[in-house]
Amino acid sequence: MRFGFRRSLPATSLAVALVLVLSGCGSQSQIYATDKPDGVYFSVPKGWLKVTQSVLSERESQSTATGAAERLANVRWQEAYAPKPVSAAQIFSLTSSEIPTVYVRVRSLLPDEVNSFSLNSERDIFVPLTTWLNGTSTAITALHLNLMDDSDSIQPAARGVHDTFSFTGNDGVSQTFNQTSLLSADHSTLYVLLIRAQSDYYSSHAGQLEKIVQSFTVRGAQ
Amino acid sequence: MTTTGSNRLDNASRPRDSDRSVRVHLTLFDRSKFLLLFAIVFFVLVWAAMADNPLLSFSDAAQQISSQRWWIFLLVAVEVVRQVHFALSELLSPYHGIWVRYFAFVDRLIHRLSDWTRYRISRVIKAAIFVALLAVVLGAVYKETPVKALFLAPKALWSALPMLGQLAFAVVFIVIQFVAMFWFLSRGGIDTYFPDDIRTRFSDVWGQDHVLDRIRENLLFLEDPASIEEHGGYVPGGLLLWGPPGTGKTLMAESMAGESGKPFVFVDPGAFTNMFFGVGVMKVKSLFRKLRKLALRYGGVVVFFDEADSLGNRGIATTGGSRSATHAGSRSIFDSTCHGGNYLSQSAGELLVRESFVANSAAGMGGGGMGTLQALLTELSGLKKPRGFFNRIVRRTLGLRPKNPPKYRILVVMATNMPEALDEALLRPGRIDRMYRVGYPSKAGRIRTYEGYLAKVSHSLTPEEIEKLATITPYATGATIKDTINEALIMAIRNGRTTITWTDVIKAKQLKDLGPAEDVEYIERERHAVAVHEACHGVMAYLQRQHMAIDLATIEKGSDYLGMVASIPPDDQFTHWRTEYEADILVSLASLAGERYFFDGDNSSGVSGDLESATTIASFMEGHWGMGSTVSSHASNRRFEVGAPGGGKPRDAKDGSAELRRALADRIEDNLSKLLVKAEEILAENRLKVLALAHALETHKTISGEDVTAVMTGGVGPLVDGRPYGDSANLLEIEKYHVAALTAHKSHQRPDVQIPVFHVK
Repeated sequence: MRFGFRRSLPATSLAVALVLVLSGCGSQSQIYATDKPDGVYFSVPKGWLKVTQSVLSERESQSTATGAAERLANVRWQEAYAPKPVSAAQIFSLTSSEIPTVYVRVRSLLPDEVNSFSLNSERDIFVPLTTWLNGTSTAITALHLNLMDDSDSIQPAARGVHDTFSFTGNDGVSQTFNQTSLLSADHSTLYVLLIRAQSDYYSSHAGQLEKIVQSFTVRGAQ
Repeated sequence: MTTTGSNRLDNASRPRDSDRSVRVHLTLFDRSKFLLLFAIVFFVLVWAAMADNPLLSFSDAAQQISSQRWWIFLLVAVEVVRQVHFALSELLSPYHGIWVRYFAFVDRLIHRLSDWTRYRISRVIKAAIFVALLAVVLGAVYKETPVKALFLAPKALWSALPMLGQLAFAVVFIVIQFVAMFWFLSRGGIDTYFPDDIRTRFSDVWGQDHVLDRIRENLLFLEDPASIEEHGGYVPGGLLLWGPPGTGKTLMAESMAGESGKPFVFVDPGAFTNMFFGVGVMKVKSLFRKLRKLALRYGGVVVFFDEADSLGNRGIATTGGSRSATHAGSRSIFDSTCHGGNYLSQSAGELLVRESFVANSAAGMGGGGMGTLQALLTELSGLKKPRGFFNRIVRRTLGLRPKNPPKYRILVVMATNMPEALDEALLRPGRIDRMYRVGYPSKAGRIRTYEGYLAKVSHSLTPEEIEKLATITPYATGATIKDTINEALIMAIRNGRTTITWTDVIKAKQLKDLGPAEDVEYIERERHAVAVHEACHGVMAYLQRQHMAIDLATIEKGSDYLGMVASIPPDDQFTHWRTEYEADILVSLASLAGERYFFDGDNSSGVSGDLESATTIASFMEGHWGMGSTVSSHASNRRFEVGAPGGGKPRDAKDGSAELRRALADRIEDNLSKLLVKAEEILAENRLKVLALAHALETHKTISGEDVTAVMTGGVGPLVDGRPYGDSANLLEIEKYHVAALTAHKSHQRPDVQIPVFHVK
C-alpha cells in the first residue's frame, strides 16, 4: 500500500509538470495575424503594434476618387502592423516614414475588374510601377527607381507577382517597397502584402522583413 | 499447513470501510488518469491550433492554447487539490477522520428529507444541469452568450421544423411499412358466419345426445342471458369438446352455428401459426376486438377454435387438482374405468398430475408460440377492464372515472382430440367453464348413426341387421360409419346395384378393418400351418373368451399379417376382469401352444406378436392392475425408485435395479408359463375341433364368427356348413391330412394327401 503511494506520487508530479512545461511558460515568439475565412496568414515580430481598422479605412473612406468607396466596401480583411503607432499617411502615401509598416488586404474584385485584372494591375496596386518602368513617365529619372526583384509568386490558392523596388520621392529620402499581389484561381479575390520602409532601415533589417514576406500564406477559403 | 491455510482463509475478508483509519490507497492509474486526460485534451487542442494556422510553431501554439483555454489548468489545479486531499487521507488518519465525520454529517442532513423530496430535488438539479449544458453548447454554436443562445434556440427550432418534419415522415414511412406488413399478415384464418348461413342442425348430430343436451344448455343461456344473470349467475363462457377423432366435435360446432341465433366465428387451427414475432398476438387481439364488436351488436357471439391443441401450452402444469385430472398428462391414471383420481385429495391429485407430466414428458411448447397463447389467455379473462382511448385517457383527463365495459357475451368453444396438449391455464374456470368428452357413440348412438347414413342411400338392411352391425362395430364413430356405408355403396355400384345389402356392408367393414387382401396363394403346407395357427386362436377364443365374440377368422394374407382371428365385445363394457385378461392371454398363447402341439414341438416366428400381447397384458396384470401376486403399482414404484415388490434386494447384488426387474420379470414369466401349459391342455382336449376349424379356414379362407360357431357346434353358418365336422369319418380324414401336412412340413415336400372335401348328404 505504501509502496503504491510512493510510486504514484512521482508519476502524478510528472504528469502535472509535463502539462505545465509543455504549455510553454512565457509568451509567443511572433504575432500571428489570421484571416481564417479566407485562409490568409502572416506573422510579424513580437512587439509590433496592430494598426486600427479606422486608420486603415480612413484614406479610402475620405477619398472622392472613382471606385474608392466600392473598393473599401469589398474589403474582406485588412490588417497592418508597425513597430510604433502610425497614421494612414505613413502606410499609404508616397511620403517616406521612419517607421516601417506591414499591410495586408484581402478584397473581392469589382465586377469590371474581374476580366481586366492583369499582372501589371497587380504590380501597380500601390504605385504605378509599370508606368515608371516602361519609361512613359517623365518622373522616372527623378525617382531613382531601382527594381530589385520582379518574380512570380505561387501560393496554394492564389498566384501573382512579387516585386521589390526602391525609389526616391519628393522628400529626397529613398524608400523600399516589398509587395506581393496575388489573385485567386477564380479571379475573384485579390490578396496583397506590402512592406515599406526607408531603404536604410530595410537594408539593416532585411532578414526580419523577408521573414514577414515568407510567412505570408494564402490557403484560400477552406 | 492445512490448518494455517484454513485460518488464513478464515481471516481473509476485506476490512469494512468503517474499520479503516485511513483511506484506501489509489492505484497509479486512478491517481493520474484525469491529469493524463487533461494533458491529452491540451495536446489535441495544440494540434488543432497548429493545423489551423500553418505559421504556428509548437511552442507558440502551446502558448496560445494556454492563454485561450485557461480552464484546462483550472481543472488540473482542482484535480491536483483532489489528489493531495486523497494523499493526505491515505497518510494521516486524523485528517481522514475529519472528512468521514463531515460526510456522515452531510448524509444525515440530506436524509432528513423524504425520499420523494430528494428524488424531486435531484430531478430539478438534473434538469438545471441539462439546460445549462444546452445553453453553453448553443452559445458556442451561435457565438452568443449562453443565456441569449437559449432564447435563440426556439427560433432555430422553428426554422428547422421542415427538416424535422422530413425526418418524422421518414420514420413514419418506415413504421407504416411494418404496420402494413403486419396488418396484412394478421389477416385470415378467422371466418364469421351469421345466423342461417349454416344449415347444419343438432338433428344432424347422431349418437352424442348427452353432449348435445349440455351444448344446447349453453346456447340457451347465450340466447337468454337474463335467465341466469337475474339470479346472480353468469353465462358460462367457455366450452371444451374433447375426445377421439371422428366423434363429431366439429360437426357439433357446425350444428351450434346453425342452431344459434348469434354470429358464429370459426378460428382455423393454423390461424395463430405465423412467421414473425407479434403477428400471433395481433391476430388474437384483432379476433377479440371483432368478437367484442359482434357481441355488442348481436347480444352475443360464439367463437369456435377447431383443433385447439394447435394453440400449444407453456410447459408443466401450473395448477392442478382433481378437476384438471380429467385431461392432460394425468390420463394414464384418470382414464381408468373407475376414475380413481376422483377419490384422491386435492394435494394428492396435484402431486400425481405433476409426476405424470414429468414421467410422460407431456410438457412442451407448440402451436403459435411467441406470446400468442399468453395473449389468448389474457383476452379470455381480461374482458372486464375499461377499454378505449376516450374511455381511459380522455375521461381520466377530465377527472372522470373510466366506464366499465358492457357485458360481452362471448361463448368460447374449443375442440381437440389431444386435451393433454392444452395449457393448464386455458382450462381454468372463467376461461373454459365446461369440458365435455365426446367419446365413441354408445350402441344406441351407433344404431342411430347407421340409420341416419343408411337413410341417405338405398339399402335392404333390416332393423335387426342394423343393430347387429352396431354391435360388431363397437368403436365406430360418425366418421367411420359414414365411411363404411359409403364403401358399401361403392361395392354395390361396382356389382351393378344401387341398393346396399348386408353382404356389402360386411365386406366394406372387413375392408376397412383389415385393409385389402394381398391375394397371395400359400403353398399347401404353409397354408395348413397358418390355418392351424389361426384355428388354435379361434378355438381358444370360442371356448375361453366369453367377454368377446369372434367377428371373423381369416388366413388371407394382409399387409402386415398372415391371418387373424378378430373379436369384438358384444356389449358396451367399461370394466375388465382378471379372468377376462387371462382368457385374452390364453387366446394369445394358443398359437404357440398349438404350433408346438400340432407340429411336434416346432413353432414358427409368427407367434412373436401373440407373445408380445400376452407379455404386455401379463405385465400390466402383475405390475399395475393388482391381478398378480403383489399389490403395489409398479408404475408408482418405478417413478419413485423404491424398487419393485416381491423380489427383494439381495445384499450382494451389484446391479440392484436389474435384480428387481428380474424379480418382476420372473413373476410374469411364471404366470405366462402356467397359462401356456393350460392352453396346451385345452388344445389337446379339443384337437379335432382345431383341425376342423383349420380345415374350414383352408377351404373358405375367410369365415365369420357365426361360421366358427357352426364348425364348433356342427351347425350351419352363413358360409360354412359345420355338420360334416360332426362325422367321425370326416374327422379321421382331416387327421390324415394333418399328418401328411406335418410330414411335408418336416421334409419340406408337398403333402401326399389332398385336403379333403366334404359334401353334405
